[in-house]
Amino acid sequence: MPNDYIHIILADDDEDDRLFFVDAFEELNMNTKVNTYNDGIELMAYLNSEGALLPQVLFLDLNMPKKNGIECLNEIKANHKLSDIAIAIYSTSASEEDIEETFVLGANIYIKKPSSFDDLKKVLSEVVSINWQYHTNGLNKDNFLLRM
Amino acid sequence: MIRKVISKASVILRAIFLISAFLIIIIGGFTYKHISNLTNSTKLVVGTYKVNMELEQVLSYLKDAENGYRNYILTKDTTYLEPYLTAREKVNASFAQLRVSADNNVAQKENLKVLSKYIDALFDNFTKSNALVETNQTLSEAFKSTFFEEKIIMDSITKKIGDMIALENRQLEQRKAQNQSNLKFTPLFLYLMLLFTLFLIVVSYHKISNDLKKIKGINNELLIFKEATVQLETIGKHGNWIWHIDTNIYTFSDNLYRVLGEKPGAFPASHENFLEFVHPEDRKKVVKDNQSMIKNQDLPFIYYRIIQKNGTVKHIKAYGKLLVGNDDEKRIIGNITDISDEIENFSALEERNLELERNNKELSEFNYVASHDLQEPLRKIQTFISRLQDKESKNFSPTGLQYLERINVAATRMRLLIDDLLQFSRTNKPDKEFVPTNLNTLFEQVKQDLAETILATKASITHENLPTLAVIPFQIHQLFLNLLSNSLKYSKKLEVPKIHLAYSKVAATTDANLAKATQKWYHKITFTDNGIGFDPQYASLIFELFSRLHNKQEYSGTGVGLSICKKITDNHQGFIVAQGKPNVGSVFTVYLPEAG
Repeated sequence: MPNDYIHIILADDDEDDRLFFVDAFEELNMNTKVNTYNDGIELMAYLNSEGALLPQVLFLDLNMPKKNGIECLNEIKANHKLSDIAIAIYSTSASEEDIEETFVLGANIYIKKPSSFDDLKKVLSEVVSINWQYHTNGLNKDNFLLRM
Repeated sequence: MIRKVISKASVILRAIFLISAFLIIIIGGFTYKHISNLTNSTKLVVGTYKVNMELEQVLSYLKDAENGYRNYILTKDTTYLEPYLTAREKVNASFAQLRVSADNNVAQKENLKVLSKYIDALFDNFTKSNALVETNQTLSEAFKSTFFEEKIIMDSITKKIGDMIALENRQLEQRKAQNQSNLKFTPLFLYLMLLFTLFLIVVSYHKISNDLKKIKGINNELLIFKEATVQLETIGKHGNWIWHIDTNIYTFSDNLYRVLGEKPGAFPASHENFLEFVHPEDRKKVVKDNQSMIKNQDLPFIYYRIIQKNGTVKHIKAYGKLLVGNDDEKRIIGNITDISDEIENFSALEERNLELERNNKELSEFNYVASHDLQEPLRKIQTFISRLQDKESKNFSPTGLQYLERINVAATRMRLLIDDLLQFSRTNKPDKEFVPTNLNTLFEQVKQDLAETILATKASITHENLPTLAVIPFQIHQLFLNLLSNSLKYSKKLEVPKIHLAYSKVAATTDANLAKATQKWYHKITFTDNGIGFDPQYASLIFELFSRLHNKQEYSGTGVGLSICKKITDNHQGFIVAQGKPNVGSVFTVYLPEAG
């Protein structure tokens, strides 16, 4: 691997959430590089661009204007160049329908946005430290939703 | 029933009539035979007397001739010869008569021949003796022998005639005896036949008058039935019509005219006149249905509209059926019913239902969206509070920090409320699939969910063997979770919580809590705890949304959990009942119908 840091991308239309996300990784001090995008269109434009650096983990908000998280997930999984990226759904709600749909579409984990900064840090550090190979093999509907 | 009575009666009456007619013909025949027998025997008697009389006559002529002739011999006076001279002629005339009478009688015919010979001999003798008298040889031997011969002939004649009369009388007696036996038997037979015929006529009279009485009764019933039908028509807004197929004549009941908004008999009953009232848009359909009625002689239920003369539109339901009466006439009997009220009520109800459904859906969507979207700003408030508490706590005064903490508590409580509301609205969603579920397994999962609290409180949780039921699994999971966490939450501070689940099957009629039951059998699951309990007067209030019996500083809770339980049992057509005693404990009883 040419780079020794963990490359992380977040696509979220909410400014506050992007702020919390970046702050949390800053405080975690885990040698990560975080890029954020404001919506699905920006995200897909970057991923599809020439020489884009693909992330180890992609955090995907579901409810975004223009192009939502489900559409992005569909496009990523349909593209063999991108389909190996580990995808963490990062959403306010954890409705049965959303969980079911994203699981079927091939997302790797579902995170409900926590309501305290400490919890957020805990969740993010856990997700980043997951061995995706191992996690994906044992993935089922019950451990898909990350419980703290 | 009427038909049967009439047809049975007519068969019996026809039989009686045929038997009577047959008997009368027989009686007539016998009477004729009898009378002709009587006439015959009279004729015979008369014939016999005639023959006898004629024979006596012949004898008397001959005797007169003999006497006259003797007187002449004595006196030589020729006037005495008068009877002798006419005798021959008279005897011949009598003989002609006798021959006719004896035409069929062989014996008498033979006798007549013999008699005729005797008479001829007598007259020959007269002639012989007369010749001797003329020549005055009366005293001669020849005359004497002739005279004696005459006496012998005369005696023979007398005897023969006597014989013939006797024969005639004998034959008469024989025939009389023969006829007598016939005649003796016939009148008795005829009398009996007449009596029997009379009996039959009495029987048939009785039968006819009985049937008449029955028919009168039936007629009366029919009259009552007809009146009831008329009343029914008026109340039920029915109209009745009859189509006589063979004659193509229609009859409409009075109320049919009223249904059409007309006075009874306002127009001649006919198909065309009726069609004029049918709504133009429906006319084609009605004509088509009526044509199929003519073809199939049957009319299924059809629906159409009519327009009354004043413009009112009415909805009609119509039906017709072929009826073949006692008279073998084919009729189609039909009914029309004004169902406008029903249709109006139905569409109003349907509209209200749709509105209700819409409202319900909107409400649950609103509830879902509201609680969902409310989460986002709240989460940020909470996150920002935690950022302030972490990063900026040194810049706050102690009072400021206290305020911050109070904001945090309020926000946490709001989150709890929103979560529960979301849960509640999810319980409302219609995607309910009943799956056979082992409740023991389900309860173990619930215990797993609450493992931390159970461990912390050291609670003892026991349960009897639970059944496998067709339920909505996640809802029953929620129900058990809410009830169990409720018991754990409202436990006494200084006592280890004890929670027991009991199970039994109960009949709806034996349980006072199942007064509103729709099923016969219910599964009864009871959660009994030794917690703080509650005042029994709040037993039903406990299930209302946002209702709380305890201070929220003491016990956290939103008042939604038990409402969700109620909702879940409702969804399963079941019931939930709470009983409590302060400081003793609470009992929650769940009833789920057997055929979930």
